[in-house]
Amino acid sequence: MRQLPCPFCGARELREFVFHKTLPAAASATADASADEFARTYLRVADPQLSVEHWQHVHGCRAWLLVRRNPSTGAVLAVQMLSGTAP
Amino acid sequence: MSTPPLRRGTRIGTQWLSFRFDGRSYPAQAGDTAASALLANGVRLMGRSVKYRRRRGLLGAGPEEPNALFNVGEQPQLIPNVQATLLLLREGMSLASQNRWPSLRVDLASLLQAGGGLFSAGFYYKTFIWPSWRTYESLIRRLAGLGAAPLDCALPHVAIEHLACDVLVTGAGPAGLAAARAAARAGARVVICESEPVCGGELEFEGGHIDGQTAAAWLVRTLAELESLGARILTSTTVITDNGGEFIAHAEPGGLPGHNTMYRIRPRAMVLAAGALERPIVFCNNDRPGVMLLGAAERYLTRYGTQVGRELVLFANHDRVYASAQRLAAGGMAVRAIVDTRGADALMTGSAAHVLRDSLVAAGVECLAAHAVISANGGSGVRAVRVAPLHGGPPRKIRCDTILVSGGWSPALHGGFHGGAARAYAPPLDSFVAATSTETRRHAGSANGCLELGAALADGHAAGARAAADAKATGHAGVAPQGNGDPSPRLQAFARSPAAPAAERRQFIDLQNDVTVADLRVALAEGFSDIEHVKRYTTLGIGTEQGRSSAVLGAAVLAELKGESLAAVGVSRSRPPYQPVTLRSIAGFHVGDAVMVSRRTPLNDWHVAHGGMLEPMGLWMRPRYYSANGANPFDAAIAEARQVRTAGGIVDGSTLGKLEVAGPDAAAFLDFIYLSKASTMRVGRSKYMVNLREDGMVLDDGLVLRLADDRFLATTGSGHGTHMLSHFEHYRALHWSGRGVTVTDVTEAWAVIVAAGPRCRDALLQVLDTAWQAPIGRLGHMDFADGSHAGQALRVLRASFSGELAFELHCRPAGAVALWEALLAAGLAAYGLEAVDILRVEKGYLTGSELNGQTTPFDLGMAALVKQGNDCLGRALLDRPAFHEATRPRLVGLRACDGRSRFLAGAQLTTAAAPDRPQGFVTSSVYSPTLDQWLGLALLARNQAEGTQLMARDPLRGSDVAVHVVAPVHFDPASERMKG
Ligand SMILES: [Zn+2]
Repeated sequence: MRQLPCPFCGARELREFVFHKTLPAAASATADASADEFARTYLRVADPQLSVEHWQHVHGCRAWLLVRRNPSTGAVLAVQMLSGTAP
Repeated sequence: MSTPPLRRGTRIGTQWLSFRFDGRSYPAQAGDTAASALLANGVRLMGRSVKYRRRRGLLGAGPEEPNALFNVGEQPQLIPNVQATLLLLREGMSLASQNRWPSLRVDLASLLQAGGGLFSAGFYYKTFIWPSWRTYESLIRRLAGLGAAPLDCALPHVAIEHLACDVLVTGAGPAGLAAARAAARAGARVVICESEPVCGGELEFEGGHIDGQTAAAWLVRTLAELESLGARILTSTTVITDNGGEFIAHAEPGGLPGHNTMYRIRPRAMVLAAGALERPIVFCNNDRPGVMLLGAAERYLTRYGTQVGRELVLFANHDRVYASAQRLAAGGMAVRAIVDTRGADALMTGSAAHVLRDSLVAAGVECLAAHAVISANGGSGVRAVRVAPLHGGPPRKIRCDTILVSGGWSPALHGGFHGGAARAYAPPLDSFVAATSTETRRHAGSANGCLELGAALADGHAAGARAAADAKATGHAGVAPQGNGDPSPRLQAFARSPAAPAAERRQFIDLQNDVTVADLRVALAEGFSDIEHVKRYTTLGIGTEQGRSSAVLGAAVLAELKGESLAAVGVSRSRPPYQPVTLRSIAGFHVGDAVMVSRRTPLNDWHVAHGGMLEPMGLWMRPRYYSANGANPFDAAIAEARQVRTAGGIVDGSTLGKLEVAGPDAAAFLDFIYLSKASTMRVGRSKYMVNLREDGMVLDDGLVLRLADDRFLATTGSGHGTHMLSHFEHYRALHWSGRGVTVTDVTEAWAVIVAAGPRCRDALLQVLDTAWQAPIGRLGHMDFADGSHAGQALRVLRASFSGELAFELHCRPAGAVALWEALLAAGLAAYGLEAVDILRVEKGYLTGSELNGQTTPFDLGMAALVKQGNDCLGRALLDRPAFHEATRPRLVGLRACDGRSRFLAGAQLTTAAAPDRPQGFVTSSVYSPTLDQWLGLALLARNQAEGTQLMARDPLRGSDVAVHVVAPVHFDPASERMKG
């Protein structure tokens, strides 16, 4: 993946983007809000087939993006605007 | 130096030049490589091996060469690890062999290892562990590694060119040219990368006919057609890695790194037709100078008119050896014997090879079937060879000075396989080809297992036509070229000759890394069975060699030792770059001042003109001190800080990050971002606020100003502006869906001048438009007012980070210099960042080092902020028990017990009871002119109370100073000065 398809700008060079973080595999939902927060922050599941990540098109439209990709192959599976995706 | 007879070859001219190798001068002809010229001068010893320091000569004639690596040029600009086979000689060039000390002929390390078994597989892990690795490190570092690093990297700038095309073809041999022609005819924009200086590949030697013409004529016509169709042909250019669909190619005319162009090529589709690399067969002492690849001998003869030896023995497992033997004999070399591992029935009656063999036999060449070369004799060069029948019988000696070996061809897949694509075993090659072609990547020609001219042309044409279609070219690719050349080599798998166990220590697989058959046995015996594990344990195919000559061979020997098929064992993955490349080539023009952009404040030119010594802060350049105030930063900063405390000074604060947050949800947004409430501030007020990362650690601090009900200005640390902008935008996108609040970076819309000190109010009243008289007098601590000055917007904020009465003047950049100079004229003096640090530490304000991503608000003495604070980002995790343990750090002040000793940031703080267990460390330290002693801030375990005596240990800088713990605020704890 030397390029990411920005929903706003189209396919652009990777160096225009900045990676922020990998999301946990699934949102935990327990009665303990603090435990949920802890899990969200610290527990990352390394799935070799699917990584869900936050990126920003810093040197472009500055949109924050939700990127799904396969770390094993480098294939980008989906890119969408982060806006409106919060739980 | 007498001139030898002129050689004739396709790559050399008739002009003479001279070059130096290990201090001796040699003649060469224009166009010679270092390898061809040294060979022609009778030089065979070209290096020492890296582990055993065995004498080594040339193995190959191209990129596969593992032995002949030279240092080129002289320090400080020496270039190491240059392959002699690729290095084009220039007049006066100076070369030196590597891995020898003191000289190539006498190497002391080789005497140390005369036993030969010292450095067996895994030797680093097993041998040097007692009493510790450090005991051996310096010796090993002296012996290990390849070449010498240049002391200066002042090489010419390297150009980087970005190319986009429809079809990228690697390799301009028959298959690559057929592919490029098909794609170009179909209308695709084509780029061809050929690693040789000329196109043609195997056509150079093999001859044959294509479309009724000689191969040479077809080559000329095809290149002309490609040019007319607009194809771009890059010669001397090797694709060194697949960077996820972007291919990095490296043009190195002359083979000398650092004088070149890097291409970043983004094709829609690509055809890999980079050919195949000949691999040797393993036998005892197969690393002796004089053991070479068969194809290399043909290259030296055709291209440079260089004879690799006088008396040859050829050793192979295929038909092509007979045609080669005939061409070498015609070139004036005596072929003593041809050793074919295959049985006498391997040559089909009436086949071209059979006819050739008969004529060779008639000419007196001994042709042995079902035989193998068992070992080479001769230490510094081959003097004879021992051959033996494979199915029993005594070995026998044949006199020769050169052994030419060919064990088949391994498709050169590297350029497209750094991403880890799957490979499949191809029985006719006893090697591996690409398992699948994808829409964007196809393989063709010998890289795809087609070793016959006709098949390679057809394969290339088909791949080129499909690649053009993949790239959406709609034209017609035309008809595939028809060719016939040498028939199939009819190879029979044979990787190594039989050997007694003791002799396996001298059966070399990887010549560059000195990996032998015995090493592979050791690896297996110790449980390293997978090819990737064996590679790492034995160092097979590492370094600049990257398996070009050794990967398939090593896998084949491993398969034999394991009793498995080569297909089951597989082959290890090579890593980029395919060819060694200098770091300078990767950096391109991004060196020196061009490594990063730098940001300058509107006052930058004034600072420079008035002795401001700039230093980087993030991307910003800020004055550290002014040279007029002292001979060195220490003295200057003391003078500047004293001036602020006694009279007043101004400092350029333009680098503060400034984010304007506006909209109906602006207050709620900031309440979410910051620990303190923004929503309760009134317009015209500012507040010191901190924000947290989602894990609860403090991220940044700064002042937030409420400009209007729905508009705020948040200031950030100087180095943090761009990061904080992203942070704000991130949570705006995540929780506000981009609505209700906007975030605008206004950092560069405002210059900031901070005026501080007892006389600063008077200076402001004197300088600013008269309309400011009343507001300035009225402004309380942390209040601000908006207005104008000299016709431009001005905001005056009363806030202090020095402990003095202070005002921040936010003005438009265009008016900054005038305002700055007016304030100087009113009696204030410019001060720099060193003085800022002194003033901050005296007052116990954070200097930046304390916000290291590992400190919570509790650690930094902000428990009250948390108590009154919001349920903001990161707040939930602050309640974790570990954040409240007695060993968590706490911000404290430090002073030397003797009141005068110096201690520095970074020193570790220990107690007398546990001198080796740091309880914390000094984060900032300054010499305070106000208190006439060294002061510090530190992060120290909470259970170390104020008054405790500790040792500030600084072993690397050589001082241990007794300090005692005090409150962080060293000066004016009641803050009477700044509030007065
Ligand atoms: Zn974008």
